[in-house]
Amino acid sequence: MNAAAPSRFERLRPVLSLAMNGASIVALLIGWELLGRSGAFSRFLLPPLSLVLGRVADDVMSGLFLTDVVQTLYRTLIGFSISAVLGIVIGVLIARIRFVNWLFDPIVSVGFPTPKIAFLPVFMLWFGVYNLSKIALIAFNAIFPVIIATIAGTQAVEKELVWSARSLGARGREVLWEVVLPAALPQIITGLQVALPIALVIALVTELLMGGTGIGGTMIRAARFADSLGVFAGIVEIAVVGWILIKGMELMRRRLLVWHAEVESVSTV
Amino acid sequence: MTGALTALYRYVPLLLLAALWEGLTRFGIVSDLVLPPLSGVIASWFTLFEDGGILYHTGASLLRGVSGLGLAIAVGTTLGVLMAWIVPIRVVFRPIVQMFYPIPKSALIPIMMIWLGFGDASKIVLIFLGCMLPVTVSAFNGARGVDRVLIWSARSLGATRGEVLREVIAPAALPEILSGIRTALALSFLLLVSSELLISREGLGYLIGNFGDAGIYTSMFAVVLTVSALGFAADRLYLLFVRRVLAWRE
Amino acid sequence: MVERLKQDAAASIRIESISHEYRPARGRPVQALDEVSLEIRDREFLALLGPSGCGKSTLLYLIGGFLPITHGRIEIGGRAVTEPGPDRGIVFQHFALFPWKTVLQNVLYGLQKLRLTREEQLKRARDYINLVKLTGFENSYPSQLSGGMKQRAALARTLAVDPTILLMDEPFGALDAQTRSLMQEELLSIWQRQRKTVVFVTHDVQEAVYLADRIAIMSARPGRIKEIVDSRFEQRGPALLKSPAFMEKVDYVWNVVRQEAIIAQAEVPM
Repeated sequence: MNAAAPSRFERLRPVLSLAMNGASIVALLIGWELLGRSGAFSRFLLPPLSLVLGRVADDVMSGLFLTDVVQTLYRTLIGFSISAVLGIVIGVLIARIRFVNWLFDPIVSVGFPTPKIAFLPVFMLWFGVYNLSKIALIAFNAIFPVIIATIAGTQAVEKELVWSARSLGARGREVLWEVVLPAALPQIITGLQVALPIALVIALVTELLMGGTGIGGTMIRAARFADSLGVFAGIVEIAVVGWILIKGMELMRRRLLVWHAEVESVSTV
Repeated sequence: MTGALTALYRYVPLLLLAALWEGLTRFGIVSDLVLPPLSGVIASWFTLFEDGGILYHTGASLLRGVSGLGLAIAVGTTLGVLMAWIVPIRVVFRPIVQMFYPIPKSALIPIMMIWLGFGDASKIVLIFLGCMLPVTVSAFNGARGVDRVLIWSARSLGATRGEVLREVIAPAALPEILSGIRTALALSFLLLVSSELLISREGLGYLIGNFGDAGIYTSMFAVVLTVSALGFAADRLYLLFVRRVLAWRE
Repeated sequence: MVERLKQDAAASIRIESISHEYRPARGRPVQALDEVSLEIRDREFLALLGPSGCGKSTLLYLIGGFLPITHGRIEIGGRAVTEPGPDRGIVFQHFALFPWKTVLQNVLYGLQKLRLTREEQLKRARDYINLVKLTGFENSYPSQLSGGMKQRAALARTLAVDPTILLMDEPFGALDAQTRSLMQEELLSIWQRQRKTVVFVTHDVQEAVYLADRIAIMSARPGRIKEIVDSRFEQRGPALLKSPAFMEKVDYVWNVVRQEAIIAQAEVPM
C-alpha cells in the first residue's frame, strides 16, 4: 500500500462491492417479478413479487404483521432465555462437578443430535396446545448448544489465569465468578448465537404444526386455504424477524466482547 | 475388554433415567395417561415391528431423507467450491446465499404444501432446498480458507487449475465440508419430521401424529423414541465415517 | 518511590526432599521431581536452569502452592506452603492477563482484595504502571498490546500487591530477542530498587548467568538439583555481557547443562 492518495478505483471499491452484492439480489427479485407475471406459472404457484409485497404492506397496515411478529418473537425469546439461563447453569455444573458431569454427559451427548422435534406431540400431550408447550419445546431444543458451549468454554480456561487470580488473593467462588465465567464468555456467547436461530426455527415449526397465532400459524392457515400470497408474505415476514435476531445477536456479541481479538460470525439453521 | 466396559459405563445414567421412567409410572406417581410406562412403550414397539408397520414407515422416511440430503450435499458442495474458486459464480451467488441464510428453512414447509402437496416430492424438495444452504456455506468457507501457500506451491510445481481444485483445495476444504454436512444431517431430520407431521400420509412423523390424535400413546412414544434413536445413530455413524475419511487423508 | 506494604517480612524458601509425580490422563505416571532439596535465601535472585521437562516449572508451581505437595515439604519464612497467596506473586510465560480487563483493571485486581481505599488502590496501580513504563496504556486491552507490553502489564499486576517472593516461569520466553534483552534490564533495575526473593525459571543459560545471584542447575527428568553455581558479579549492565568473567561463567554453566540437555533430547516425548 503506498502512502499516496488512493486512486479513484480504490475509493470506489467499497461502493462497487456493495453494488455488485446488490446487483444479483436485484436481478433475482426482478426475475421473480417477471416470472410471476409471465404466466409460465399460475398466480397460485408463483405470485409476482409486487403482489407479495402488497400483501405484506396490507398485513402491516392491518396490524396483523405486528401481532404475528410479536407472538413469534415472544415465544422465541422466552424459550431462548430459559435455555440460556438453564443451559449456562447446567453447563457450569457439568464442567466443575465430576458427579454432575457423569450424570449428564450421556444425556447431553445423546440429546444433542437427536431430532427433538419428534417430541412435539409429547409436549402437546403434557403441556396443552397453547404457548406453554411451544415455549417448552423451544427451550428443550435450544438448551443443548448452550450447555455444550458452556462446558467447552469453562473447561478451556487456561490454568495460568486461575493460578494468577489465586496468587493475587482470589478465594473459592471468587475464582469462578471473577475469572472462569468471564474467560468462558466468548464461547458461551457463540453457543447462544447458535441457540437463538434454533429457537426461532422451533418456534416457527410449532406454530406451523399447532396453528393459532404467530407467523407460523398465519402461514399454515394460508396454506390450508390455498392462499399462496399469504404463504409467500409469511416467508418475507419470517425473514425479517430472522434477520433482526441475528443482527441483534451480533451487536450484543460485539459489545460484550469488545476486548476479544477475533470476531466470529455464526450460522443459522 | 475394559475399553468397551468404560464406554458402556458412560451410558449408565441413561439406564438410571429409564429406571426412573418405569418407576414413576408403575408406582402411579405420574399418571399413565400422560406418560405410559416404559415397558408398555417397548411392548408397543415390538408389536409395531411385528406387523410391519414401523418398517414400512421407516423406509418411507429414510427414502425421502436420504434423497433430499444426498441432492443437497451434491449440489451444495459443488456450488460452494465453485463459488470459492470462480469469481463470477461467487459474485452472483454469494449475495443470494447471504440473503437466504437468516430464513428458517422450515418456512418452506407451507410452500411445499402448496406446490407439491402430500407425498414424497414435497419432502425431498424441502430437504434438498433446506439442507443445501449449510452445505454450500461450509464448502465455500472451507475452499476459501485453503492456505494460499498450498495453492501457490502446487501451481509452481506445474499443476493445472483443475488439478489444484481436485488435489489441493478439495482435500483441504474437506473437514469444513464434512462439518457442514453434519449440520445438514441434523437439519434434514428436523425438516423431515416436521413435514411428515404436517403434510404426509406415511412416514415416521405421520405415525407419531396419527397415534397422538388417536390417543394411542404407547405407540406414539414408541415411534418418538424410534425417531430419536435413528437421529442419534445417524449422527454417530456419520462421525465414525468422518473419522475414517479424515484419518485416511492424514 | 513506591511504598512497601510489608516491611522486612522473612522471605527465605526452604525446599526439603520434594518429589512430585505427574499423572497424565492416559498412560503411566511420570516422575517430574526426585528428592529435590534447596535453600533460597532471603532477597536473593535464584535461577532454576535446566533442559525441557526437567521439572523446573513444576518446582516453581509447588512453591507457589498451585500443585499439591505429596512428598516433602516447602517452608517459607518458617511456615509450610499449602495454597497460593499474595505473598508469592507469579509471572507466566504467556502473560496470563485477564483479556476482558484493561491494563489498569488487571493491575487493580489484586489490589481490590487488600484493605485499601479506592484512592490508594488507584494510586498504587498507576505507580506500578509507570514503573513498568506503560503510562498511557491504562485503558488498553491486552489484545491491543505487544508481547513486551503484555509482560510489563503482568509484572505490574504481580508487583502491585507487594509479594515478598516473585516466581517467574520463563517470563521472557515468548518475546523476541530484542524485547527480551530490554525486559531483562528492566527486571534488574526494578529488582535493585525493590529487593524481593526471586525464583526465575529459564532454559536460557546466558539469561540465568546475567540475572541471577545463584543458579540451581537441574538434571533431566526426573529432576534433581545437579549443581548450584554462584553467579554474582561486581556490576550488572549491558557491558557485563562482553566481559571475560561473564563469558567464562556462561561456558562453565553451559557445559554442566549440556550433558543434561542431551539426555533430555534422547527421551521419548510424553
